[in-house]
Parts: sequence; C-alpha cells; structure tokens
Amino acid sequence: MKDTLATRIPRAINWNRLDDEKDLEVWNRLTVNFWLPEKVPLSNDIQSWATLTDHEKQLTIRVFTGLTLLDTIQNTVGAPALMPDAVTPHEEAVLTNIAFMEAVHARSYSSIFSTLCSTKEIDEAFRWSEENPHLQAKAEAILNTYAPGNDPLKRKIASVFLESFLFYSGFYLPMYWSSRAKLTNTADLIRLIIRDEAVHGYYIGYKFQRGYEKLTEAEQQELKDYAFSLMFELYGIENQYTEELYDEIGLTEDVKVFLHYNANKALQNLGFEALFPPEVSEVNPAILAALSPDSENHDFFSGSGSSYVIGKAVATEDEDWDF
Amino acid sequence: MLDSSVNEQDYHALNAMLNLYDGEGKIRFDADRMAARQYFLQHVNQNTVFFHSLDEKLGYLVSEGYYEEAVLDQYSKNFMRKIWDAAYAKKFRFPTFLGAFKYYTSYTLKTRDGQRFLERYEDRVVMTALALARGDEALAMSFMEEILEGRFQPATPTFLNAGKASRGELISCFLLRLEDNMESIGRGINSALQLSKRGGGVALLLTNIREHGAPIKGIENQSSGVIPVMKLLEDSFSYANQLGARQGAGAVYLNAHHPDIMRFLDTKRENADEKIRIKTLSLGVVIPDITFELAKKNADMYLFSPHDVEKVYGVPFSEISVTEKYNEMVDDKRIRKSKVNAREFFQTIAEIQFESGYPYVMFEDTVNRMNPIAGRINMSNLCSEILQVNEASEFNDDLSYAHLGTDISCNLGSLNIAKSMDGGDLGGTVGAAIRALTAVSEMSAIDSVPSVRRGNDESHAIGLGQMNLHGFLAREHIHYGSPEGVEFTSVYFATVAYHAIRTSCDLVKERKAAFKGFEDSDYASGTFFDKYTTRDWLPESDKVKALFEGMTLPTRGDWQVLKADVMKHGLYNRNLQAVPPTGSISYINNSTSSIHPIVSKIEIRKEGKIGRVYYPAAFMDNDNLEYYRDAYEIGPEALIDTYAAATEHVDQGLSLTLFFPAEATTRDINRTQIYAWKKGIKTIYYVRLRQEALEGTEVQGCVSCTL
Repeated sequence: MKDTLATRIPRAINWNRLDDEKDLEVWNRLTVNFWLPEKVPLSNDIQSWATLTDHEKQLTIRVFTGLTLLDTIQNTVGAPALMPDAVTPHEEAVLTNIAFMEAVHARSYSSIFSTLCSTKEIDEAFRWSEENPHLQAKAEAILNTYAPGNDPLKRKIASVFLESFLFYSGFYLPMYWSSRAKLTNTADLIRLIIRDEAVHGYYIGYKFQRGYEKLTEAEQQELKDYAFSLMFELYGIENQYTEELYDEIGLTEDVKVFLHYNANKALQNLGFEALFPPEVSEVNPAILAALSPDSENHDFFSGSGSSYVIGKAVATEDEDWDF
Repeated sequence: MLDSSVNEQDYHALNAMLNLYDGEGKIRFDADRMAARQYFLQHVNQNTVFFHSLDEKLGYLVSEGYYEEAVLDQYSKNFMRKIWDAAYAKKFRFPTFLGAFKYYTSYTLKTRDGQRFLERYEDRVVMTALALARGDEALAMSFMEEILEGRFQPATPTFLNAGKASRGELISCFLLRLEDNMESIGRGINSALQLSKRGGGVALLLTNIREHGAPIKGIENQSSGVIPVMKLLEDSFSYANQLGARQGAGAVYLNAHHPDIMRFLDTKRENADEKIRIKTLSLGVVIPDITFELAKKNADMYLFSPHDVEKVYGVPFSEISVTEKYNEMVDDKRIRKSKVNAREFFQTIAEIQFESGYPYVMFEDTVNRMNPIAGRINMSNLCSEILQVNEASEFNDDLSYAHLGTDISCNLGSLNIAKSMDGGDLGGTVGAAIRALTAVSEMSAIDSVPSVRRGNDESHAIGLGQMNLHGFLAREHIHYGSPEGVEFTSVYFATVAYHAIRTSCDLVKERKAAFKGFEDSDYASGTFFDKYTTRDWLPESDKVKALFEGMTLPTRGDWQVLKADVMKHGLYNRNLQAVPPTGSISYINNSTSSIHPIVSKIEIRKEGKIGRVYYPAAFMDNDNLEYYRDAYEIGPEALIDTYAAATEHVDQGLSLTLFFPAEATTRDINRTQIYAWKKGIKTIYYVRLRQEALEGTEVQGCVSCTL
C-alpha cells in the first residue's frame, strides 16, 4: 500500500473521464460564476454610507473584518487542507477554484473598506478582529479541525460549518441594510459571495456524504456526534459574538433566528437532520428574500446586479446565418 | 406560519413575504396589500404635513418656495378648488407596496430636510396637470383625469419636477454628437455635465472620433482613441447628479466598423484592466446590414479610420452609410483599415453581453429605412428607444459655435394599455398624451446646450410610449406572444399611430408651424401613409375583435383623409412615438413594464434609493398564474414577434430586452440577434440572464427562484 503511494505516477487530469459527474457540474457552475470585486460600483454607496451613524459604521466595518478573517482561513488553510483528501483529480481542481475564490472574497472586503472608510477606521477594525475573543475562538475551533493528521471527514464538517453557518452572522448585516435601501451595491457584492459560499458548502457537504456512506454504522455515529458537538460549540461562540455585535442596534434576536436557519442548512448539506425546530428558525422574510440573487431587476445605472456570469462561447454555424 | 413571527409594523418584511410561498404554495398577495397599508399607517400618514384647507396649503407651499407661483397664477382660485376636489373624489389608492414606496421615496414633494411629506399622490398629479396645461382649464382637467385614472403617465423627469419651484428639467433624454476634434469633445463633456445636473440621461456618439494610433496633425501614432474619452465621460456622469435625486447616467455609441470597436467592447470584460474598465457607462454598437452579410459569408469585416473617411468624403464617418460605401472604402487606399472576422465580432458582442448585459445594439440600416424624416440616424440613447436625425456643430477656437448644429432631446410618457383600453376612448387618451408631451417640449429650453435647444425648437420631438401589455393580455386570458397577443399589439399600435399623427396635425393647425424639414419628409410626400391606405390594420380573430368591441378603429378611408390633411397642413412634431423601458413609472402606475413580458411573477426590484423590494405583476392572482409566464419561459422569439408587430407603427424605437437562461451560449444570443434583425427590429437594449440556483443551494419556498 505504502509502496504504491510512494511511486504514484503523476497523471494529467482528464475531464472527459469523470469518476463523479458532480465534479464537472460544480466546476462549471463555479467557473461560470467567476467575478472580481471591481465589477461592482461600490463608490455608488458612498452617499449611503454617510447616512449611517458612527456606531452603525463601526459595526459594519467590524462585521466585514470578521468575514475577512473567515475567508482568509478558508483560502489559506481550509481549502488547501481538503486537497490531500480529494478522491478524484477533478475534486482537487474544484478545490483550487474554491481556494482562489475565497481569496477574491477576502480581497473584496478590502475593496469595500478602501471605498467607504478611512485608513484609521480600517486599522482599528483589524486590530479589533485580532483581539476579539469570540472571533478568535471560532477561528481556532475551525483551525484545530483543519490541523494536519486530522480525520478528512471531520475537516469537511468544519469546512461546511464555516461556509454554510459561520459566515451568516456577518452576512445578515448587509442584507439588512439593503432591505432598508442602504449600501445596496455592497449588498450586491456580498450576494455574489453568498452565491459562491452556497455552492462551496453544498459541494463539500456532498463530498462528505459520499465518504460518510462508506463508513460502518459505529463510525458514522461517532462522526455525527462529532458534527453536532462541534456545531454546539460554534453555536455557543456565535451567540456571544452576535450579542456583542448586534445588541446595541437591537437586532440580536433576529440574527439568532438567522443563525438557526443556517445551522440547519449546514447540517442539511452534511445530510443530517435539522437541529433547531421551525418555530425558532423562521427568518425575517426581508432577509430571507434578500438572499436570492436570481432574476433581480435592478436599474443598471446605479448598480451592476449579481446575476451576470461568464458565458459559454460557441461559434455560429452557416445555418445560423441563413437569411 | 411565518406570519406570527413578523412584526405587524414591519412593512418591509410583509412586502418580502410576496417572494415566499405560504403553507399551501400560494403567493401571498394579501401580505403585500397589508404592507402598503402599514406603510401608510406607520410612515406616510405620520410624516405628512397637515393643512386645514387647500388655500392654506397652496399659500404655504408658494410662500415657502416649494411650488412655482407662476404655475398657479394661471388659474382662478375657483378652478383650483374644483380640480383638487375632483382629484380627491377619485379616492386613489396604491394597489402595491412598491408603488406607494417608490412614489413617496422618489417623487413626492418633501420638506427641505427630507423628513416630512408635503404632497399626496393627488397633489402631484394635479400640479403636473396644471403645469402642462399652461392656463387652459379644460386641458388641465383632462390631463388630471388621464393621469389619475392611470391611462397616461408622464415620464419620471416630468412627473417628478412639474410645478416645483426648485427642480430639474422635464425632459428625459439627450443625445449628443461628438466630432473628431478636441473642441467638440470638450464641449461634449461639458454638455454631459450640464445635462446630468439637470437630470437627463445622456448618450454620446463616438463613431466620428479617430482611432487609437491614428495621426494627429500628420504625426503618426498620436491619438489615444475612444477609450480615454469614455473614461472622462464615466467620471463626469458620476460627478453630476440631479440634487442627489438621480445618479447621472450616460451611454456611448460606436459604429461596428470603427477600428476601436474590439477595445470598446473589452472595457466591459470581467477581467478588464482597471485603467480601461468601464463600470457605469452604458455601451451601444451601431451595426449596419453589411456586417451581417459579411458574417453570413464568414468573411472578415474591415474597420475604417474615421479620420481618413472624413478626409476622403468631406463628411464625418457617421454621415456615411457603411453598407453603401463598404466596397468603395475597402478599395480606397487613402483610408487606412484593419479587419476582424465578422462572426468573431458577433460572438464577442454575445460574450460581453453575457458578462455585463451590454452592449445595446442599433441596426443602422433598418432604422434609416424606416425613418420618415430626411437625414441620417447614427445613434440612439440611454434606453435605445430614441431614434432621430442630428446635425454636426462646428466650433471656433474659443469654443463658441462656428456653426450651430442640432442635437436631440426627447420627453417621454407612456399609456397604460389596460387602462387606456378600459377607458373606451383611445383617441381621446392619445390626444391628451400628445398634447401633454408637446407642452413639455414647448416649455423646455436647454440654454446650456444650444444645439439641444435648437433641435428641440425646430422639431418638437416627443416620444409616446406604452406599458402594461403583458398585464392587459393576461387579464384578458391571452398568452403573451401568442397569435392573438401579436394581433392585438399590431391593431393597438396602428390605432395609436393614427391618433398621434391626427393630434399632431391638429396642433399644426393651431400653432401654424410645422416642424423644420417637414417638406422633405415621407409625411409631406404622402409615401409614409401607403401601408395604411393599401391595407387594413383591423382585428381579424374573434378574440381580438372582442377586445376592441365598442371602439372605433381607423379604417383605410380614415387614413386617406388623414393623409390629405397632413400633406396639406403638416405635422407639429417631427417624432411622435418611442417605447421606453418604463421602470419606476410602471410601479407607480401598477403596470407591467413597457411591452415586455414580466421578468418574474414576483419581481425583485433593487435600486439605490429604495433597496430591495418585491413587486407582483399587474392583475395577477392565484387563479390566473398560467398567463404570467415570464420572459425566460416565453423565450426570445415570441418577444421579438410582439415587438416586430409594434415596431411597424412606431416612428422611433422600442427598448427591447432579451432574456436568456445562464445555460444559453453565445450562439443562442447571436441567433436571436439575427432573428431580430431579420424581423425588422430596430434596436436591442439589454441582454438579461437568469441563473437557476444549483439544486440543493436554493432559498426554500422562494417565488422568484423556484418556478
């Protein structure tokens, strides 16, 4: 066994021979969804930014710094850590795409900052992110799971929780602002990130489920216990993080409901049942509806929308020009 | 279930429930109505300044400098009481949350701190009617009736500004030519700033500007081409806005055979370098027939240096028909040229449309063939529905005019097709609308851009549009794009054209002055009327006949009489119809946009001022959903067929957006463009894409994402 591993010959990836169709489907979706923050006219939000109170501004910057940290982890540690566990070369290719887009996301927050805030405010927020115990605690909980030598499936659990759960306490705020006609272009950019994260969480969860199926019942039980206990730990941290951030503007209760909803979604991505009952996971419709990027009808003159994609180029044939 | 968790006062949450199915899978129209109600109870009513009487109100608004005194001075106190009473007696209510929210956020008069409302909807309507009627009581009353009953809706700049003391212009749209010299470019940028400040969208023609690498004063490789001009314009537009009310917005048009065309398109690439990336400026490409012919042969298309073309022909590139002169220019060695493969050019357009929705397309030869006015049309505007002739200006060294040319302005307004049909007097409604739009033209004088002022004075060009076609057809249980739907569109637009021309002919009898250039037009020669006097444009199927029952439609004989009348007296307005995309005004007016199919049963509307709001299609309920198939389901051909039927009777253009699922390819887009061109479509506006959520990642129970 060891021998074959050591002498593994490098193989060129052949996309015409797939072990798992899902790899190609997700690869196509991710490449079609490629974007860069420069496409969003963030500067159109400058006027709107000026209408926020100092506290609201500080909150917004902090929330985005928190998100930057999570994206940085996922870019530099998370996605690369999943790479050695990949079972197909195509999965590796998808993961490199995921890693790169996480870097784009982390970059995007800086675009928001440089457009809207002063250097002093930005530096203050980054210092805050380094010192905030809750933010550091959740980073640590995830990083520990990613550590080398850890169970590949546990890494996937952590990764799905990060992509599908931990981001959302932060995503709540721009969605809330946009439903109040504030920072709508920033919300567009965040919606592009959400569009990506939804696919990432779904894909890694899918890969988890394929691995999970192969386990014995006892191993499955152990892993499931692990998932739920990690969820509990993260949920505890998220609660405190949420209270610290949102208490002052009175949104904590609403955000917590949103956490429940997303915790359930994260578990669903792993193929597990919901943790929170429906009564406590009914998200404010304005936020829930704001999450969908589909078929939004924006006026092009004040924003760029979040539904454009890289198209598939196919040359026309003679028959098309029959006139 | 969700209802219990929603705070009753949170009208945004109630409105958002429209986009989430209820337990039985029904759309919650009631939640939206409740949202509208709560918005009034919680926000509007509490923040409206209260006056005891109309006199007190008008006195206050005039003395505080909110209302223009001159508007009210034209009428007696008695009449004002009468028109206001009549307006309030109609008991107007906004049927949707977005209608009310949009009106109170963006249109109504507010105190200077922006905190309190000074007008209700009725007040805005009456002030618009009084301002446009200029002292004519009967006309004011008829404008008020048409607007408040929802049959006619002036475009945003008119409805927003009329009667206010400090205000922007009433005109929607401006089109400026740029010539191949620094004076013209500099003047153009200045004009763009001036017009943006006053609240119009501005389009500029870049076709005449020499390309990247062209010589300046005979020294080779000096010119930087059109991209830096676009950069300057983009920054100018973001600087100027109308008292913060509207973001400045602009478009630029370039001929497909301009050597910078590929660079021009690449500015909208996802991975474009920051130095050349164009974010908010809209792009349009002018495509002549020859480009299609070359693509058909899979040949290369030559691109011609505008600088050389102007030297050889003595007129700017935009005055030349590329189709006509193509072979001549190819063989002329004085004109430097480069080439690209024609099919690759079309494919690049489609790729960029995928990534950005741009460019707009204007089919140059179709547009000019169907233009009844003498002269060349070389560009369109920000919404690709204005198509008029223009004339170059020449400048002295101090930037004053050596020759004052004409540029284009257009004021717009749209009929609500359903309400106009319900009203029963389509002729009367069209007549009132034409008079209201003409009033805007006569009341406007853009002194800061003399070429626009001259153009407006000489042409009185207006653009009457239409909206709520899909809403009307669905209410009548006709599918959009079906044979009956297309037939209705044809008959309706022919009837509107008749009444528009008739009213403009009445106006010329009253004003005693036809538009400049009438004698050279197809109206004067009578050839314009041939297609109406040689065949009928009347309903044929029973279904469509029933829709027009009780209405008098123009017969061949009527057209014959009109033809003689026009040839004898002339027309007051050089241009009459243009069908704009109608964003905001269709929400206020409770219509589906323009003559488009709906984009979604529940439309998600996002813009800077209102955030993300949800809007149900007009007349839709849980029982007639089958008639509300959206644009992506209907597909581009049915849409183009409908537009082609309308295009036949519209002297200017119609904003036509194409809709594709994200799985479509550039080939699908190209085939659709070819189809549109074949069917005689004049312009294409945006290309919109919809990406279905990957299974497993969608927001559950969402109306606009699961179909």
